[in-house]
Amino acid sequence: MSGTKPDILWAPHQVDRFVVCDSELSLYHVESTVNSELKAGSLRLSEDSAATLLSINSDTPYMKCVAWYLNYDPECLLAVGQANGRVVLTSLGQDHNSKFKDLIGKEFVPKHARQCNTLAWNPLDSNWLAAGLDKHRADFSVLIWDICSKYTPDIVPMEKVRLSAGETETTLLVTKPLYELGQNDACLSLCWLPRDQKLLLAGMHRNLAIFDLRNTSQKMFVNTKAVQGVTVDPYFHDRVASFYEGQVAIWDLRKFEKPVLTLTEQPKPLTKVAWCPTRTGLLATLTRDSNIIRLYDMQHTPTPIGDETEPTIIERSVQPCDNYIASFAWHPTSQNRMIVVTPNRTMSDFTVFERISLAWSPITSLMWACGRHLYECAEEENDNSLEKDIATKMRLRALSRYGLDTEQVWRNHILAGNEDPQLKSLWYTLHFMKQYTEDMDQKSPGNKGSLVYAGIKSIVKSSLGTVESSRHNWSSLDKQSDIQNLNEERILALQLCGWIKKGTDVDVGPFLNSLVQEGEWERAAAVALFNLDIRRAIQILNEGASSEKGDLNLNVVAMALSGYTDEKNSLWREMCSTLRLQLNNPYLCVMFAFLTSETGSYDGVLYENKVAVRDRVAFACKFLSDSQLNRYIEKLTNEMKEAGNLEGILLTGLTKDGVDLMESYVDRTGDVQTASYCMLQGSPLDVLKDERVQYWIENYRNLLDAWRFWHKRAEFDIHRSKLDPSSKPLAQVFVSCNFCGKSISYSCSTVPHQGRGFSQYGVSGSPTKSKVTSCPGCRKPLPRCALCLINMGTPVSSCPGGSKSDEKVDLSKDKKLAQFNNWFTWCHNCRHGGHAGHMLSWFRDHAECPVSACTCKCMQLDTTGNLVPAETVQP
Amino acid sequence: MFVARHIPADHKDLIHDVSFDFHGRRMATCSSDQSVKVWDKSESGDWHCTASWKTHSGSVWRVTWAHPEFGQVLASCSFDRTAAVWEEIVGESNDKLRGQSHWVKRTTLVDSRTSVTDVKFAPKHMGLMLATCSADGIVRIYEAPDVMNLSQWSLQHEISCKLSCSCISWNPSSSRAHSPMIAVGSDDSSPNAMAKVQIFEYNENTRKYAKAETLMTVTDPVHDIAFAPNLGRSFHILAIATKDVRIFTLKPVRKELTSSGGPTKFEIHIVAQFDNHNSQVWRVSWNITGTVLASSGDDGCVRLWKANYMDNWKCTGILKGNGSPVNGNSQQGNSNPSLGSNIPNLQNSLNGSSSGRKHS
Repeated sequence: MSGTKPDILWAPHQVDRFVVCDSELSLYHVESTVNSELKAGSLRLSEDSAATLLSINSDTPYMKCVAWYLNYDPECLLAVGQANGRVVLTSLGQDHNSKFKDLIGKEFVPKHARQCNTLAWNPLDSNWLAAGLDKHRADFSVLIWDICSKYTPDIVPMEKVRLSAGETETTLLVTKPLYELGQNDACLSLCWLPRDQKLLLAGMHRNLAIFDLRNTSQKMFVNTKAVQGVTVDPYFHDRVASFYEGQVAIWDLRKFEKPVLTLTEQPKPLTKVAWCPTRTGLLATLTRDSNIIRLYDMQHTPTPIGDETEPTIIERSVQPCDNYIASFAWHPTSQNRMIVVTPNRTMSDFTVFERISLAWSPITSLMWACGRHLYECAEEENDNSLEKDIATKMRLRALSRYGLDTEQVWRNHILAGNEDPQLKSLWYTLHFMKQYTEDMDQKSPGNKGSLVYAGIKSIVKSSLGTVESSRHNWSSLDKQSDIQNLNEERILALQLCGWIKKGTDVDVGPFLNSLVQEGEWERAAAVALFNLDIRRAIQILNEGASSEKGDLNLNVVAMALSGYTDEKNSLWREMCSTLRLQLNNPYLCVMFAFLTSETGSYDGVLYENKVAVRDRVAFACKFLSDSQLNRYIEKLTNEMKEAGNLEGILLTGLTKDGVDLMESYVDRTGDVQTASYCMLQGSPLDVLKDERVQYWIENYRNLLDAWRFWHKRAEFDIHRSKLDPSSKPLAQVFVSCNFCGKSISYSCSTVPHQGRGFSQYGVSGSPTKSKVTSCPGCRKPLPRCALCLINMGTPVSSCPGGSKSDEKVDLSKDKKLAQFNNWFTWCHNCRHGGHAGHMLSWFRDHAECPVSACTCKCMQLDTTGNLVPAETVQP
Repeated sequence: MFVARHIPADHKDLIHDVSFDFHGRRMATCSSDQSVKVWDKSESGDWHCTASWKTHSGSVWRVTWAHPEFGQVLASCSFDRTAAVWEEIVGESNDKLRGQSHWVKRTTLVDSRTSVTDVKFAPKHMGLMLATCSADGIVRIYEAPDVMNLSQWSLQHEISCKLSCSCISWNPSSSRAHSPMIAVGSDDSSPNAMAKVQIFEYNENTRKYAKAETLMTVTDPVHDIAFAPNLGRSFHILAIATKDVRIFTLKPVRKELTSSGGPTKFEIHIVAQFDNHNSQVWRVSWNITGTVLASSGDDGCVRLWKANYMDNWKCTGILKGNGSPVNGNSQQGNSNPSLGSNIPNLQNSLNGSSSGRKHS
């Protein structure tokens, strides 16, 4: 420690105390601030800890190194090595009156004055203190003092007295060390070996030496430059680290000839290397002028015994603060905790985290392992729905039977949570498509029906060049506009857009009414206007302004609207065309765009992206000529496809184009659920067989399986097979007669329905009731149930002795379960079986097969059999 | 909002990997204490350790589940240079009564001459296949030709990567349009700036794996790699844990345009790169739909990443490794999606977590 650069030490036993030493010693107390405010005068160390200064000791000038006494008592005894080689025992004023009082102030003086480089307390013989000194001619450089030595020299050499000028209590001087080692050498670092209390490892001038105090004449040594900061791994007593310049060497004392490992060289010289005391194989290193502590996680280092293995070392770095770090200290007991001090004595307390490994479970909970601990983190259900991930959304939607309402198709968007305007548009589109397909089929069974599902793009294409425009009078205005004569296709398009209802009536009235009812005043007004009914539009706006939720500004808009004039250069026109851009509502904006537009150019309406696609398309169908319309639809379709916007399904329908669109929707959102259900709504077979569609369907089924939504998966499969009969799985199990080998399935189909479910299936089987217990082919009896010993095919009686309450629950839960009780079941392993109901109740209490002497654990063989479907668990 | 809960793991040393089965009802952990533990989730949602056994004679790096279609099967890999396949059996003993299950070793794969660093089962549609990678730079692909006999595995492919391998990831896509594909990451830390991620693709004609791509921009050691589950996307997403979190998209160039038979060409884009961990990133993991990525880094935090509708990836949550909330307020990290981009400075995220660690 050169006066400017502080060092830091944790107390070995009082784990909430540490000392910072530079020119003086300052003792701090660490407190947690989790549940309390920061106290006045304390220093913040981290988010939840702070330090209070307890005492300062400036008795010992010229400090070079400090070591904390390792015993419990006295608590705050420190040995300080000074620049003149003296070692002074000092205390931080906690217990002056203890029996160790006489230790404090004791000085240990070497023969010749030179810098004291290092101090080390013996971990076992707690009174032994080793001091490493610089070289002085042929003098010894490693001195081991016994601090309890009562020995005071008879004659204090004159030299010493001079050196310790100012020191009055000469009686506390000790000049005779217990051992003197390392003659004619310098000692830079020291550590006691935990293997034996008499072994001392020293980093000497150009070698590492192990001194054995039992025989001081001998030492083991190895020549190396890496002699600084020797330190023993507390978890692996043969592993030692030392450093030189930027390089750390790891030694194995059993094979001391050369380092077993050297770590990657650092560009700057190292200042401190320390093993973590709370975790195996973690070495922290610090270089000069750096704000990074580099950590080496030694999972495996080579050992001299056993085979040659390559080291597994994971290098990490932590940056506890922005300033350079002067020194650091591991906390003796808190796991991986460390405190660092900067040159200007700011301190920071932090924990080095272990590498975290993590995994997502399929039901969006995250599990991670940090060190030896496991943490699970689940997404809370009551989360704001907008924040939810698509995985959670799909799971909740599957539970609410999303996509399965095939009658009121539009309702599916409500099942989806009624939150996504695109889904709303999609399901309304699909609803109209279904409705008009049925309509078409009724009118003219044959070709047209499929056209509806092909989308407006195809519908418009099919009528190319058949439409002429005509001038239409505005109601209540003496204005005329070019409006296309609506042919059958355009009417269909308008119907799909939702503007007009079923039938040949081209009246938008009902649509307007429904919009008004939902409070979409602006939209209703715009639609009214596009149908050349400005009076109705104004009326709707007024209505909106006066309603509770409405906006009073709508009156102003209505006022502006009523001032409409057809004159080309009027002030009204000029102002409206500029001011309309400031309107926030897109529908209000397009109304003025429409009124101020030149005849035949409606770009202001057609390309206003905030207006729903269905309204823009309907508008285009009304006002654009065939070629214009075609071009517009084409352009819009491509735009929608690019963006994966589900509103575009209106244009593409469930065609290849639709699959393209859906592909970019899936790319964007990952929502294969909507994609699957949408495509299963009415796609022609060739579209359904598209690889991408099949892939979505497969993946969605897989997803349901992973969530254990097996019932939902089955429902989905049924739904799918309605449109794609080829996807219907073949029968997986046949029951064949033991004697003739023929399938008994024909008669078997009636077997389960003998009970109450009987009549509803219309099977008049009562005369054959007794016959089904035998094979329909050879009339031999069917096998017996292992439990009731009655031939299969008989209705099951409620299980005797079984838990009756359970049975009742089963029956009341669903009548179908009662029929299932009659089914054949058998174990694939031991071939024993019987009535499903009997078997289930048997295995509720037993692990082994009910047939005597059969030890087969039938039920446990199928481990997935233990998995209950998740739907029953879900709310 | 995310709430973390501590589960007493009772491993005697560091846990290196956590893995869920297909349904998320079972979990396996492996540790430096050379053991694997299997955990089952009870109806109440608590995890119970139902098996714990010594699997290897060295640290167990990774553990992974096979699809339940193949039974209850685990694979583990270790520093002891082997990988092993384990199967749960219905024991003759009354293990089940004590709530314990019994796992037997079906095979030991001993081909590697160095530490086996990762093991992964191939996607289900490829059959029962297993890939391992090792520190000597070789990826090995094994197959069990008979799924009923887990003791026979044949080494089908050996791919040399030239660099010490640290992690592998199968492309999970089961689309017929996508050939089997495996990405390999290397943690080689030598100063040469070689690309650390290679992607190999199976070629139907040559019946071999050939290099399809090398991510030239990734030159720092890679610690983990993960293809996102692909539920129907037309492209692949690959997350990489290196000195930062990176997300790449690989868009196959349509087959018709490329010459048939050759490897698929990809348009590769880096769509996100986050250094919020401010240090090495150790693991990345995708959720079931491949829409949320979780990463863990040396700052001791777990971060969640998610793309918005504009395909901009953002941090949507930060969790401390010890389960304590970041800055005492985890809700903030979640509701404010922009928080991820201006993470509190490093000091905050490193500090102050000591009080949360009860065990030492």
